Amino acid sequence: MPGLDEVSDIKSDGLKTAARHPVPKGEPILEMRALQKKYGAVEALKPASITFLSGEIHAIVGENGAGKSTLIKLLTGVIRRTSGEVYWCGKPVQLDNPHEAIARGINAVHQEVVLCPHLSVAANMFLGDEMKSAGLMRKRAMTEAAQSVLDDLGFNLPAAATLGSLTIGQQQLVATARAAMRGTQFLIFDEPTAYLTRQESAQLFRLIRRLQGEGVTIVYISHRMEEVFELADRVSVLRDGTHVGTRRIGETNDAELITLMINRTIEQIYHKEHFPAGEVIVETRGLSGPGFEDVSLTVRAGEIVGLYGLIGAGRSEFALGLYGRHASTAGEVYWQGRKVKIANERTAMDLGIALAPESRRDQGLCLNLPIGLNINLPVFSRLTRGLTINRQKEIENADRQIRDLKIKTPSRRVLASAMSGGNQQKIVIGKWLSHGAKLFIFDEPTVGVDVGTKAEIYRLFARLLENGAGIILISSYLPEVYELSDRLHVFRRGRLVASHDYRAASHEEVLTQAIGV
Amino acid sequence: MSAETVDSGAGPAPRKGVSILFGLTLLGLLLFLWLLLGLATNSFWTPNNISNLLRQGAMTAILAVGQTFVIITAGIDLSVGAVVGFTSVIVAWLLAAGVPLWIAIILTLAFGVLIGAFHAFGIVRMGLPPFIITLATLTSLRGIGLLITNGSTISITNEAFTNFSRADFLGVPSLFWMVIVVAIPAYVFLHLSRFGRYLFAVGSNSEAARLSGVNVHRTIYLAYILSSTCAAFVGLLLASRIGIGNATQAEGWELQAIASSVIGGTSLFGAVGSVHGPLLGAFILATINNGANLLNVNSFWQRIITGVLIIVIVYFDQLRRRGAR
Repeated sequence: MPGLDEVSDIKSDGLKTAARHPVPKGEPILEMRALQKKYGAVEALKPASITFLSGEIHAIVGENGAGKSTLIKLLTGVIRRTSGEVYWCGKPVQLDNPHEAIARGINAVHQEVVLCPHLSVAANMFLGDEMKSAGLMRKRAMTEAAQSVLDDLGFNLPAAATLGSLTIGQQQLVATARAAMRGTQFLIFDEPTAYLTRQESAQLFRLIRRLQGEGVTIVYISHRMEEVFELADRVSVLRDGTHVGTRRIGETNDAELITLMINRTIEQIYHKEHFPAGEVIVETRGLSGPGFEDVSLTVRAGEIVGLYGLIGAGRSEFALGLYGRHASTAGEVYWQGRKVKIANERTAMDLGIALAPESRRDQGLCLNLPIGLNINLPVFSRLTRGLTINRQKEIENADRQIRDLKIKTPSRRVLASAMSGGNQQKIVIGKWLSHGAKLFIFDEPTVGVDVGTKAEIYRLFARLLENGAGIILISSYLPEVYELSDRLHVFRRGRLVASHDYRAASHEEVLTQAIGV
Repeated sequence: MSAETVDSGAGPAPRKGVSILFGLTLLGLLLFLWLLLGLATNSFWTPNNISNLLRQGAMTAILAVGQTFVIITAGIDLSVGAVVGFTSVIVAWLLAAGVPLWIAIILTLAFGVLIGAFHAFGIVRMGLPPFIITLATLTSLRGIGLLITNGSTISITNEAFTNFSRADFLGVPSLFWMVIVVAIPAYVFLHLSRFGRYLFAVGSNSEAARLSGVNVHRTIYLAYILSSTCAAFVGLLLASRIGIGNATQAEGWELQAIASSVIGGTSLFGAVGSVHGPLLGAFILATINNGANLLNVNSFWQRIITGVLIIVIVYFDQLRRRGAR
């Protein structure tokens, strides 16, 4: 087998973890003692003391703005602490810049991949640490070595392919493999599965366990309880910047963690109210367009229509097609019984369709603009009198949405980029509530959103339905669409392949239809 | 943090306050330069020199305002200098052909509109990067201007037209009044109207703007047309000031305009900018050139000083932005 030598080569100088073993398994490797971070008067992290044991998988859970990202940034040296101490292998350390953290073997894999999309997978894996001979890069050797690492990890990925040609999920796996190759002893995952399919998540979990087996300490941040219970040895809970407790996974359960996180019991996260189905709002007949084919479905007032499928199955493409973002190539759309042609987004909005798109960063928000501007963007023409915008109305509208949706911000002038995932999603929703619509399309509304905000969003769905709207809910997270949809449609390869009434099919059945075995 | 903190002033610095503060810093810099030059030279605070300074800065200021609209959409307009030269030829040629003055002015401005529409067409319909399409018109417009004049210049004999640039109104040069004539509607457009908000939205994330019902194509047309029309307007002012139409005039003014805009706090990544910023930027540059002349500094040094100033000001602006996080 070619490449095997190369692998052992990498292992000896790449996977430095096993060799170093600074602390025996089960002993504290990193200790936070009253670690605190303040931004001005705001205490993002109140003095917190958490001990991470060598070789454990330590989950961290908490709501929006609970201080999870602050904690990661402190440990990876991205921001400096206000007070407190960090002990690494028993010695106090500064961790005031990212280089120090990396040199000590502390690394993070972020939710959104930060690599070079135009370079090959292999080039990305070796970025900054290229194999050289006589000052020239050994491109073929790197590709082969990267390939054997990927094969070895059980990822079915081509090392020579351009990174950008992979799905976000696959890119995430590459990022993890890259971190694994670099002598990491302490690896933080920040909601890594947010954009992954089930199979990709399973691969990632295998990789995490394998790293643990090699002595790496894993910190795993997630909103998905079932992942925490599947993976972690211990779990720490943050709430409002306070560390409220650490539990061994065997000694706790879903309900206790949720209670700790939000300080109130949620008997039902999936808040479902049934309303009598009203008139048909929209009906598509054999609608086709880029990425989807021959889709026929109806949405009635007062019902949630769920679209489930793997990423790339054509659900989002169908939503964009219905919204007029892409021209449809065949089929018809009937809006409240009347045949319509939706040529662009404005037509869709004027009919009464609202779309909260799949990616908040790429499609949903103008991140470097204020929250207020984002909320008002669809309604500026309504706020305009004569030549200029009515300032008073503009301010009132933004503030009303911020208040009603409980967006956690000191002001409407704060940039959207400063908000956490859940609050960003609320901004996107606020935009459409201020515009108003008959049909709301929510595409992955709870990706990167914590349990508390999720529950708020689901309650909001019920409010919309009560007011006579219909909802199309798109999700890759089966329990969500399964529990909430009055009617569930399964997509596979751009086609609608199956439809079920509320809870009529089992999870397994739906999943099988989505994967198509 | 809880929902009750909504109305408190804590947290990240509000954007508007910061932008006013930055504007005041620039104004402070400008006044400081004026004070310094007043102390260092006898001739700076003379009516003659001040008028001269206002005239010098006026044309760059108008170009910079137009340029800022384009930069806010995350684009760039490299053609403005060439448009100034080209439109000076057009107005001279029209006047020489006996076209009445006001028609000549309207036609010249219409050329500006056409050129801007062409840029937007290239960007929106042909998918060309703004840098490329405006670079292409930069060189071709100079070529067309030279073809029209056969490489020479066209003299303007209309005295009403040429006297305008030398005239004063209420003791202030008419050229400076033109800055105000442009700046006030520009301010209303950018900061008070919805189209201004759309420019920022398109520059920040055009896909999000589009999915929110913003007509992105129309917004891009608007930005480039405004930039070219400002440039055509400056072409008129320049022709009036030098009394000729010459396609090689205003060489490098596009860089002056971009520099003024950037000094004024506009971000080349889009979605950050104002109307007052580039105006101050343009007059800071004009003051440096004027001061360097008065102090007998070699004009080659002026270019170097301008370059250093761009780096320093934009660096401090970057620090401020990072500090705000």
